[in-house]
Amino acid sequence: MASIEAPARPRSSSAVKRAFERYPFLPALIILVVLIALNGWFQPRSLSLVGVTGLVKTYLALMLLAVAQTYVIYAGDIDLSAGAIVSLVNVVIVGVMAQWGGDGVTIVAALAIGLATGLACGIVNGIVVAALRLQAIVATFATSIFFTGLALYIQPVAGTPAPTAFWRTYGGRILEIPFVFHVVVLFAVLLAILVRTRLSLRLLAVGDGQQESYQSGLPVTAIRMGGYALCGVFAALAAFCITGDTASGDPLVGGKMTLFSIAAVVLGGSALSGGYGTVVGSVIGALIIGFINSLVFFVGTPSEWQNLVQGVAILLALMAGVLVGRRARA
Amino acid sequence: MSRLQLKGVGKSYGATKALRHADLDIEAGEVHVLMGSNGSGKSTLSKIVAGSVRPDTGEILLDGKPVSITGPQAARRLGIAIFYQELSLAAHRTVAENICLADLPSRGVFVDRTALEARAAKYIALFDGVTGDDFSPDAVVQDLRADQRQLVEIMKTLAGEASVLIFDEATSALDRAQVERFFEILRDLKRQGRSIIFISHRMDEIFAIGDRATVIRDGEIVGSRQIAGTTPAEIISMMVGAQEETATVADAAPARPAGPPVLSVRGLTGPGFSDIGFDVRAGEILGFGGLHGQGQSAVLRALFGANSPTAGSVELGGKPLHPKNPRATIRQGVAYVSGDRSRDGVVSGRPILENVMPIHYLRERMMLANPSALAAKALPALQALKTKFAGLGHPISSLSGGNQQKVVIARWLIDRPAVLLLDDPTKGIDLSAKADLFSLIRKLAGEGMGIVLYASEDAELLDNADRILVFNGGAIRRELTGAARTRFNLYQAAYEAA
Repeated sequence: MASIEAPARPRSSSAVKRAFERYPFLPALIILVVLIALNGWFQPRSLSLVGVTGLVKTYLALMLLAVAQTYVIYAGDIDLSAGAIVSLVNVVIVGVMAQWGGDGVTIVAALAIGLATGLACGIVNGIVVAALRLQAIVATFATSIFFTGLALYIQPVAGTPAPTAFWRTYGGRILEIPFVFHVVVLFAVLLAILVRTRLSLRLLAVGDGQQESYQSGLPVTAIRMGGYALCGVFAALAAFCITGDTASGDPLVGGKMTLFSIAAVVLGGSALSGGYGTVVGSVIGALIIGFINSLVFFVGTPSEWQNLVQGVAILLALMAGVLVGRRARA
Repeated sequence: MSRLQLKGVGKSYGATKALRHADLDIEAGEVHVLMGSNGSGKSTLSKIVAGSVRPDTGEILLDGKPVSITGPQAARRLGIAIFYQELSLAAHRTVAENICLADLPSRGVFVDRTALEARAAKYIALFDGVTGDDFSPDAVVQDLRADQRQLVEIMKTLAGEASVLIFDEATSALDRAQVERFFEILRDLKRQGRSIIFISHRMDEIFAIGDRATVIRDGEIVGSRQIAGTTPAEIISMMVGAQEETATVADAAPARPAGPPVLSVRGLTGPGFSDIGFDVRAGEILGFGGLHGQGQSAVLRALFGANSPTAGSVELGGKPLHPKNPRATIRQGVAYVSGDRSRDGVVSGRPILENVMPIHYLRERMMLANPSALAAKALPALQALKTKFAGLGHPISSLSGGNQQKVVIARWLIDRPAVLLLDDPTKGIDLSAKADLFSLIRKLAGEGMGIVLYASEDAELLDNADRILVFNGGAIRRELTGAARTRFNLYQAAYEAA
């Protein structure tokens, strides 16, 4: 007779398990620490203030966009147009600044218009996906083409310079501290505030089950639209950073960032199916991508090999994250 | 004046009438029990009242005033709360968050955590002492046991502070102590004048808590009784109805000469069932009966290797069978047909021919195939089932549900299995296709195949099974053979307290 025995499963200590369940980004954090150590090993100067400032300057936009994507993914949706929104906002604000001169007041006005543009794009996505109930992946792919088309209409070729005052501020210092660190602090405060909002919690609940949320009496359509609107606003913030970093308008600047933002969310331990994740994880995920890219550079990879090595490194980071998480939770 | 009144409420899904012209009155301060077998329309009625299903006809009155319940949100505003049988919890959220989810305490745009925890604590306290270990306000729902999740759904329903509360099988996973506590709470709600609609399949519970019982059969309201003036036998008779006389058709399922056992199961235990033992003889149709989800499907899936049993032994034709995965069991001669075609059966978007062949590929370990040779094998199998199709190259989605299921079954007829496991195979298919399927199943049994049939429609079991094992709570409670195979006995065994 064939007997089937239940396999005895080794269990890790419950404190570790609990920590990993509560902070799903812990595996990502471990990977990030390893990457930072490797960066320091291969290029000690990369961990100097100048080195870190440069890295944050370059990857702040991706961090913001990863956060943007996170709110949509919370609800089990996805936004393939996030990068296109970045491009559109980029050319809009550069265009407005160029049109009205480049002094402080117009810069603030241009940024306000940029935020409104991002919000509008997010609402368009929300209407298309949540209200009209089109498949998120295809619908936002279509709106991404639309937004890119708008950006190309506004500014057919790259190269319109941003006003000097704008990028000097972004790359400069306030009270001897690099401007981007002020932004990082503001960003952290903003995230801490948003975590406590009703919308965050409801987005996660919707991601756990749309049917269940509807039956519980939650306004599911409005909540999903809220996620897309928030995504649009954060994409606009990402566009500000990219404009500060590149100091010019480029109608295709954000296109490549969309999938990186999704990769960052997944690296950060959030579930693409929704209901489970943290914005902190997505920020860490974006930093992982940043440190991988700089590491690839610092170890002296020949330029024709850089993409390949980057791809393999991101895959390894993903696998490591899954393995560490599974071990800890088993 | 009644608190809640339904007048002529009806709902159809395509050709199926889930609920016809239901009239029902619920008084204030009353526990009103709804009784009926699987698929009789109880859940549809509950969901209509709770706003998650829109009725086709009829009107609903609250305190005598007609109301329009446009959705779950509207229902909540009208003071109606519901416990969903399939639960409505967010798996990754905490207990406290789930309890308050529908109406989050907030300050501006922020969640008021202090108020949230205070409110949740109030409802958790109601079940103090019976919630079991590891239950806390900040426990994540997906880490909880089934009974604890059910308690959270109950707390969530109570937190609606509604005047009409619906509990659709709220006690199915609870233990004695938890049920006792829940009933104390219900009695308290009754004293406060709230109206409660209570659905359960445990007869003892119904008599312990109910004031009135209404029986639904095939989407129609049969009648209402005061609990104090009725008996379990009367309720079961009402559920069975006049069908009792025609229930057992002895000549439809004649006692066939039983051959040697082809499948022997001993002490099989796994998720959702324990200590299951039975023999299926060659040429026998063994029925699995009982209410939905009492372990019947889980046992069949475990035998097929689709989920792993933790203990027990299985023999197929005298040889040990290790149901590790479906590939292994298929090669040894086990066949499994699920009622959930889209999940387990149909290869969607592919032609009919490809949908007939996968088992043949697997059993013959084929690497290359010649379509015309395959067609020659597929056609007789499809014809044996009277499958209607335009051509083997057409996509399977071009067929009706019944014909799709015939294609799925045809798959198993090319290489004859020793045992055929049928897991509610006629779910959602039309009557004539059902008749074709069952005549084929009886023919296969006549040719010496061992067949296990789980059917959620009792008539299918009574008409086709030689023996019926009645499941309740993951165990076999009773075996019905010969003249004992009556609808009454089947219901009685199924509704006995687990």
